[in-house]
Amino acid sequence: MGSVYVLTLRQLSGRWRLVIMSVLASMPVLMAAMLVRSDRAPSVEEFELVVLSGMLAGAVLPLVVLAVASTAFANEVEDRTLANLTLSPIPRWHIVVPKLLAAVSVSGPFVALSAFLTSYVAYNADLTATFAVTVSALAGVALYSSAFVWLGLVTTKAIGIGLFYIVLWEGYFAGFVSGIRILSVRYHSIALMHGLDGRRFAEENTLSVGFAVGASIVVFAGFLLLSIRRLRRMDVP
Amino acid sequence: MTKGPVEGTVFDIGYQNYAGPREGRNRARLAVFKDGVRTSLGLGRGARAKILPWFFIALLAMIALIMAMVAGAVNRLGGPEAAAQLPSHSDYYGIASIIFFVFAAVGAPELLCPDRRDGVINLYLVRPLTGTDYVAARWSAFFTVMLATAWVPQVILLIGLTMGDPDPKAYFLTNWLDVPRFLASGIPLAAYATTLALLTAAFTTRRAYASVFLVGLFAITTPFTTGLAMEIGGTVGQWISMFNLSNIPVHVNDVIFGEVSVITREAPAAELSAWILVGWFFLWTLGPGGILWLRYRRLAV
Amino acid sequence: MTTNGVATVIRVDHVSRWFGSVVAVSDVTFDITPGITGLLGPNGAGKTTLLRMITGLAGVSDGSVTVFGQPVRDNPPLYGRIGVMSEHETVYGFMKGRDFVRMMGRLKGVTDLEAAVDKAIGFVDLADAAQRPMGTYSRGMRQRMRLAATLVHDPEILILDEPLNGADPRQRVHFQVLLRQLAAEGRTIVLSSHILEEVELLADTVLLIVNGKLAASGGFRAIRAALDERPYHVLVVSDSPRELASAVVQLDSVDAVNVDPDGTIVVLSRNVRDLQVELPRLAQSASISLRRVEPLDDSLESVFGYLAEG
Repeated sequence: MGSVYVLTLRQLSGRWRLVIMSVLASMPVLMAAMLVRSDRAPSVEEFELVVLSGMLAGAVLPLVVLAVASTAFANEVEDRTLANLTLSPIPRWHIVVPKLLAAVSVSGPFVALSAFLTSYVAYNADLTATFAVTVSALAGVALYSSAFVWLGLVTTKAIGIGLFYIVLWEGYFAGFVSGIRILSVRYHSIALMHGLDGRRFAEENTLSVGFAVGASIVVFAGFLLLSIRRLRRMDVP
Repeated sequence: MTKGPVEGTVFDIGYQNYAGPREGRNRARLAVFKDGVRTSLGLGRGARAKILPWFFIALLAMIALIMAMVAGAVNRLGGPEAAAQLPSHSDYYGIASIIFFVFAAVGAPELLCPDRRDGVINLYLVRPLTGTDYVAARWSAFFTVMLATAWVPQVILLIGLTMGDPDPKAYFLTNWLDVPRFLASGIPLAAYATTLALLTAAFTTRRAYASVFLVGLFAITTPFTTGLAMEIGGTVGQWISMFNLSNIPVHVNDVIFGEVSVITREAPAAELSAWILVGWFFLWTLGPGGILWLRYRRLAV
Repeated sequence: MTTNGVATVIRVDHVSRWFGSVVAVSDVTFDITPGITGLLGPNGAGKTTLLRMITGLAGVSDGSVTVFGQPVRDNPPLYGRIGVMSEHETVYGFMKGRDFVRMMGRLKGVTDLEAAVDKAIGFVDLADAAQRPMGTYSRGMRQRMRLAATLVHDPEILILDEPLNGADPRQRVHFQVLLRQLAAEGRTIVLSSHILEEVELLADTVLLIVNGKLAASGGFRAIRAALDERPYHVLVVSDSPRELASAVVQLDSVDAVNVDPDGTIVVLSRNVRDLQVELPRLAQSASISLRRVEPLDDSLESVFGYLAEG
C-alpha cells in the first residue's frame, strides 16, 4: 500500500497545483482578517454564511478536494497506467485506500490550515471554536475525497459532475430548496461544526449533529466500498 | 557483368489522383470551427458525450421556463402589475450566470486540452493553419455554442411571458425592445465566458485542473470582493466590487437594459458609470483574449 | 488439463465480447501451453481485446478464461504469476526507470528486490539510463523499461502486446534471444505482433484472429497445409519455360501454370508432395534443365494474407 500511496502523492503534488491551492486556501483567512479589523464587523450569522459556509465550506474546501481526489484515479485511467496497479497480486482495497489517503493528505493540510487560521483570527484565538471549524473542515475533506475518488473512477466526466454538485446543487439550488441540505456534504460539515461548539455559531441549523455524524460515516464508507467494487469490476484501460 | 539501371513500369490499376478543387486556409479554419462546435455539443460522438452539455443547456432553459410559468401564474392571480415586479429578461443572465460559467468551465477545456495532451495539435499545424487560425477557430466555435446557449432560454422566456399574458399581442408590442436587448447582452456574456474558459485551458493539458481553476476563481472572488467592498465602502469599495468576476458581463447587461438586475442590485460597482463598466468588460475580455492568442501564436510543428 | 499431453496453462473457452452492438470477439476457443504462442490478426481483429480478457483487465460477455485452472478475472493472487506488457506506451514520466521497476517489483511481492531490479534492467540493457526520469527516455527506451518492469517478478506467464514497438534491430535480436531463453525455461509466452517475420521465427504456435473469430491455430506450415482450397504457388526457372509449362500442365497434381513474360513459370498445385517427385522426372525426360524451384507462399505472411485478406 505504501507504494501506491507514495506514487499517488507524487502524481497529485504538482508545483503549480500546490501554488493555486495555497492561493485559494488563503482567501478566507484574508477575508476574516479584514472583517476583524473593520469598523463594521459582521454578525455571527453573516460571518458564518459568507465566510465559513460560502467561501470555506462552499468553495475552497470542495474545489480543492475535487481537483485532487477526482484525479487520483482519473489521471491513471486517462494515461492508461492504472493496469500497472491492478495487475498486482494485491486486494483491490490495497489500491483504493492509499489513493484516498493520498488525496486527503494532499488537500487536507491546505483546507485544515485555511480553516484553522480563518477561525483563529475571526474568533479571537478561541481554541474551541477553532477546533470545531478545523475538525469539521477535515471531515468535509474526507467526505468529499471519498465521493470524488469514486467519481473519478466511474466516469470521465467527474469534473463536470463534481462542479455541478458543488456549485449548483450545494451552492445554488440548496438556497431555494432547503431539503437539499440533507444530501449535501457542505451542510453536514456545517452541522458538525455546530455540534462541536454551539456557542459560537448561528442558532439556526437545519441538520442535527447526530444525523450529520451518522450520514457522514455512511457517505464515507459507502463511497469507499463503491470504489473498491468498481475497481474489481471495471474494464481497466 | 555490370547491369544498367533497371527499367520500371507503372501499371494503371485504377488509382486516380484527386482532381477536384483544393480549398485552402479558409476551408481548414472552417473545419476546425465545425469540429469545435461538434465537440462542445457532443455531436457525432456517443450518447455519453452529449449528457453534460445538453444537461446544462436544458437546465438553463428550465430556469427560463420556470420564470415564465411563475410570471404567468402571478399575472393570473395578482395581475400584470405584480407580474412586472418579477425577474424578467434583464435579470435572466444574472440569475443564470453561474450555471453558464460552470458550463463554460467544463466545456471549453475539451476544445484545447486533449489536442495538446495527445499531440494532435501538430496534425493541425502541418495543414495550412497557423496557431492563430487554430485558436481563433476554436474560440469562434465555443463562442457560437455559448451564444446559442444564452439566447435560446431567453427566447423560451419571451415566448412564455408573451403567451402567459392575457393579451399576448399587447405584451409583445409593449416589450419588443427586450428582444434586441437580450440578443445584444448575450454577446458579452458569451464572449467573456468563452475567453476566460479557453485561457485557463490554454495553460494546462489536464481538463480537470482548467475547469476547477476557473470555477474557483469565480466562486472565491464573488464573496471575497462582495464582503470587502461592503466593508470598505466608497469609491474604493466600488472598484473592489468590480473584481467580482462573475458580475462583469452582468453589468454590461444592466447597461444595455438600462436597469440594474436583481443580482447586481446590491453590488457597489453598479453605481459606476456605464463607460467604466463596459470598458472594464472589454479589459477583462480583450486582455485574456490577447494572452490566449499569444499562447497559441507561436506554436509550430 | 492437458493439450497433446502438455499441461494447459491458459484456457479460453467459447469466449465472446461485445460492446453494445459491436462484437469484438466471437466464440473463440483455444488452449495455450508453455512455449511461445503468436497472436496475429489485422488491425481491429480483436487481438488486444482477447489479450485483455486473458489478463483479466477486461471481462468476457460470454464464455470463460482460466489461467492455471483458475478464473483470471478478479483474482489478484494470480497476477503474481503473470507479467503483462500492454501496447500503450505511457509511463510515469516523473519517475526514474529504476524506481518504476522497483515499484512494480514491490507491488508484485518480489522478495530480493534490488537483485531482481538489477537483473531485469540488465536484461533490457538500460542500466546507464535507469537513474533518469522516464519522461526523458526515447520511445524505445520506454518500451524496454516497461519490459523490465514486466520481467522483474520472474513470471511464469508473459503476455506481450506489440512489445517491440520502437526497438532497433539490435534490440530486436536481443529480445528474440531472451524470449527463446525464457520459453526454454518452461514459461508460457503469448506475443501479439504485426511483424510477421518475427512471429514466424519465434512462435511455436500461431493463433490467427480475423474479425473477432479464430481463423486458424497451430504451426503456420500446418495451417498452410490445411488451406487445401488454396493451391500452392511454386516458381520454376528453366531453360525452356514454355516447353516445360506445356508438359507440367498435364500432371494430375497441377491445377494451373502461369508463364511470366520474363520466362519464369509459376505452377499452382494442391499436391506439392507429388509435384516434388513428378517435376524433376518430367524435366529430365524432356531434357529441360531446372535452374530454380521455389515455393512462393510457404510463409506466415502468405498464410496471413490468405486468411485475413481473403
